[in-house]
Amino acid sequence: MKVSLNIVKRYTSFDVSVDELVSRVNQQLGGVEEIIDIAKKYEGTTIVRVVECAPLKGTDHLNLTKVDDGGVSKDVERDENGMVQVVCGAPNVRTDMLAVWLPPGATVPSTFDDDQPFVLGARELRGAMSNGMLASPKELGFGDAHEGIMEIDASEWKPNDVEVRPGTSFAQAYDLDDTIIDIENKMFTHRPDCFGQLGVAREIAGILNNQFVSPDWYTDTPNPSGGEGLEMKVKNDIPDKVSRFMTVAVRDVKVGPSPIWLQAELVRLGSKPINNIVDVTNYVMLITAQPMHAYDYDKVATGELGVRMAKKDEQVALLNGKVEKLYDSDIVITDGNKVIGLGGVMGGSETEVSVDTKNIILECANFDMYTIRRTSMRHGLFTDAVTRFTKGQSPLQIPAVMYLALKSVFDVADGQQASIVVDDQNLQTFSELVVHAPQSITSDFINTRLGLNLSQKEIESILGNVEFTFDVNHIAPFWRTDIEIPEDIVEEVGRLYGFDKLPQDLPQRNLTPADIYTSRALKVKLRDALSRAGANEVLTYSFVHRNILDRTEQNVDDAYQLSNALSPDLHYYRLTILPSLLDKIHANVRAGYDHFAIFEIGKGHRISAGVDQDGVPIEQEYVSLALAGGDFYQAKAITEYMAKNIGMQFRYVPLQQGKLFETKRGALIMVGDHVVGAVGEYRNLIQRNFKLPKLSAGFEIDFAKLLSLYSGNNNTYHVLSKFPSAERDITLQVAQSTNYVDVESAVSENLEKTDLKISITPLGIYQPEESETKNVTLRISLSSHEKTLTGEEVSTVMDSLVGEVCDQLNANIV
Amino acid sequence: MTDSNSVRDDLLARIGKSQQPQEILRAPELRALADELKNLPSEERAGAGRLLNELKKSLQTAIDTRQAELLDQAVAPIDVTAPFDVNSSLPSLLPAEHGTIHPITREIAIMSDILGRMGFTIFESREIDDQYHMFESLNFPAGHPARDDFDTFMTIQVDKDGEPLIAPAHTSTMQNRIMRELKPQLEAGQPIAAASIDRVFRNEDLDPRHEHTFYQHEGIYIDKDVHAGMLVATLKTFLESYYQTKLDVRVNPFYFPFTEPSFEFSLSCPFCEGEGCTVCSGSGWIELLGCGMIHPNVLKMAGIDPKVYTGFAWGGGVDRLVMMKHSIEDVRHFQSAKLDFLRQF
Repeated sequence: MKVSLNIVKRYTSFDVSVDELVSRVNQQLGGVEEIIDIAKKYEGTTIVRVVECAPLKGTDHLNLTKVDDGGVSKDVERDENGMVQVVCGAPNVRTDMLAVWLPPGATVPSTFDDDQPFVLGARELRGAMSNGMLASPKELGFGDAHEGIMEIDASEWKPNDVEVRPGTSFAQAYDLDDTIIDIENKMFTHRPDCFGQLGVAREIAGILNNQFVSPDWYTDTPNPSGGEGLEMKVKNDIPDKVSRFMTVAVRDVKVGPSPIWLQAELVRLGSKPINNIVDVTNYVMLITAQPMHAYDYDKVATGELGVRMAKKDEQVALLNGKVEKLYDSDIVITDGNKVIGLGGVMGGSETEVSVDTKNIILECANFDMYTIRRTSMRHGLFTDAVTRFTKGQSPLQIPAVMYLALKSVFDVADGQQASIVVDDQNLQTFSELVVHAPQSITSDFINTRLGLNLSQKEIESILGNVEFTFDVNHIAPFWRTDIEIPEDIVEEVGRLYGFDKLPQDLPQRNLTPADIYTSRALKVKLRDALSRAGANEVLTYSFVHRNILDRTEQNVDDAYQLSNALSPDLHYYRLTILPSLLDKIHANVRAGYDHFAIFEIGKGHRISAGVDQDGVPIEQEYVSLALAGGDFYQAKAITEYMAKNIGMQFRYVPLQQGKLFETKRGALIMVGDHVVGAVGEYRNLIQRNFKLPKLSAGFEIDFAKLLSLYSGNNNTYHVLSKFPSAERDITLQVAQSTNYVDVESAVSENLEKTDLKISITPLGIYQPEESETKNVTLRISLSSHEKTLTGEEVSTVMDSLVGEVCDQLNANIV
Repeated sequence: MTDSNSVRDDLLARIGKSQQPQEILRAPELRALADELKNLPSEERAGAGRLLNELKKSLQTAIDTRQAELLDQAVAPIDVTAPFDVNSSLPSLLPAEHGTIHPITREIAIMSDILGRMGFTIFESREIDDQYHMFESLNFPAGHPARDDFDTFMTIQVDKDGEPLIAPAHTSTMQNRIMRELKPQLEAGQPIAAASIDRVFRNEDLDPRHEHTFYQHEGIYIDKDVHAGMLVATLKTFLESYYQTKLDVRVNPFYFPFTEPSFEFSLSCPFCEGEGCTVCSGSGWIELLGCGMIHPNVLKMAGIDPKVYTGFAWGGGVDRLVMMKHSIEDVRHFQSAKLDFLRQF
């Protein structure tokens, strides 16, 4: 939202510097994105009189002129009469005209923002010295016209009391010695009034603690007298969506370029001059925030404007040159029959006001903000009108705005009112839309929420500055459609008082400790354990490319699918985490890492998992690790280390099936009788699909299951023995098919029958090639709590053990 | 004319047993069929050609399946209950000095710790949610223009109201749930102090400063007589503990539908003590987060009476804090899983 400080000053005077003002605006109104020094852009531009003008010899279109700059320009070559010589190629240059001269040293304003602005000098053109140039509207940044130079009419009305004569600064004459501050639109999402200069001026008065008084034309209820000559009817079929639709016909207008003052106002607010009628509607909008539209009366065949929803398959040619196919949820303007505009968004090209237009219709209306928003999004049309209508303009300002527009049309394009002002309004929708109901609100309510101690009087003064009124209640002015609830008033008081002045007190609470959720505590432990095991935690996207699901043979139909992701990399919610990790292995291998593990604790989503009590999808969390350059046993070692760190005991049961893991080289991870995950080497297919190193393994654990079985660290402690322990190694030859765990269990179960303290460490598993048997070597450590064991006692235990175990396992001692 | 069905059955059976199934495509039967095709009258050729193509396609599918099967078969079984492989020794873990925790989760742990000490219970957020929690319960009615500011990812699948599900664009999607869960505590005279720190999503194009997947921290505090000054004091205290230095802070008015009033919160740059540096773009200030007094409608939707209780809420990015702390130049590194990046933390 571009705001002209010169325009603001017409409504409220202030004497702080631009920097100070911007800082206050930042703190009390909204973030200033940019400060544009318009004055600098037009520095040096001078109004001059052409005193001599003759064709330049040897050229077909250049003129040699002498201009009178009132002697204001320094360092410029002058003739004996003090005139300056300028060569000019414009067809409209002539003696006695007033023109705009850019002296040597001045920058061409239209190039001011370029990387390399064009700075004028004195140079020879076809043998004649030319000092600077006479500027065209385009060069001055006033639209596209460059066929001729800009001509100044000294008698034309101007916003400033500056006399136009040779030497007058062009910028001063047309208020271009201005500063524009550009405030983020986002700040005004709820402030319809701040999309006009008037609204921002009021706020600036408020934050500087000055009383603002809206101009009479805005607050008085105007009573424009009727006119005659043209028929003007309105048929509003959707009063629930268009709460007010005001129109008037004007005849015998002279359409042409706007006076320069008006163009100057528009260009520095970032708008583009088109013609005087269109310029008036735009200008009125820039001042009041209320969009307007003008139609060529004679192209609206019936003298009637209709408002209705579009019908399916209708279309309209718009001012941007495009033809839009309409939807039945678009509001359209018709000539009673045919669609001639997209209401509240953009006018149609068929009824556009052009130089040939004689009679016009002015329209000032209010459209439902939500409908306008949807239409704008659907058609990709983001106009100034849309920006303003979607904030909820007050329908109560429409008569004032219409009156201002009508008066301005008479001023700049002549014309006469040719019909009554038709005011189609829907009072019921009105009261629903315009929520500025009196708020019964106490100073206590305000002070409690701000931590302040303001008196009723102070509050009234703060709010009164921006024209809230009081009797018993607080009444927001009619343009403040955003004030709906008492808290909105609290915000106004706090903001205008200054949020930085609020007392910074910490809340007082008692010493009850905050709850800690076990799930977070467990994750912290898992991360610690896995990183200490040498693995690297990664974060990968929750969304995956379809090919990740395909490459792991996961069911695409079970994945939630994004409808609006731009990249195919993000088309599906991932089902589990491990495939995302596998996808990150190859790049790291290529970067030179051959032996590493990456892990992630994250969520997967499956449609088949169903929804929770709120009706939203159940999320499944996983702890997953991918190991590159290591086999099943290393992955298992990491898994075991992790288990030990969280005080859990895992069991490993051969996999029966698996899409990711190779069943012959993978295991289910179990806690008691519960499956919590799987660890294994990948199927060759997976290895190939993700270009994994030959030795690769990993695990995926269901976090919720793990959490449900987790009970804090419950590793059992064994009292330390005071007596030395005895160690014996035994090697058992068992069938190749006997699982190691069965050997170890058999040994430990037998030893637990003694009341000795035992420990069993696997030393080796030896299996000669092609052999039917394997040798399992275990180191057994025994100690007593009561005494030092004698060699004999140990041998007795061992002999009994060997006998029993060999029987149980059908094993031989080696 | 040879019966292509019988050829197919025969070849499929052979593929099922073959050690080199790809070779079956060179079977003389197939070539014979192709030769026959050439001699057919032109009106029959098209149909027969199509049949031959279908045959080849079904053979290829069978070959792919068989090859996958062979790959699986080639694998030697192991004893998964053992601590190590036969004729091998106990595998070591990876070197502990290579292990790292992700800089973002590490930062989340630091922030959770400070907030936990201040009395906030830490929650996690969701990665898929409905529009009620993301918007409605936060005072964004359907069609509200502020919904546009979020560029939300939506799913094809819909919720029970027929609305697309969404990838939450802010952790505030948890606010309603947290308030409901802790409401009994509030009624028992204990304030609600809760924070959620987790992953959020915006449908943005990636570049060094923009990620579609990032992390946010957010907190709420609700009690009787909570005022806006307390919000400023709480955030200042939190950030001073985080940066371990005294800070100046300021609030500028802002607009969010779920707070009233709303602020943008800035702090004096902790990296240059407000002198101006590259982190704060020379301004001496860093715009860090959005905050405000919880909108009465948001309290109401959670069954909390806004006439009795007031509260404040804030939300800000985590990624940016980490980037500033370590001078990380490209936000995309975070989710790249590059060891070159990760092993520096």
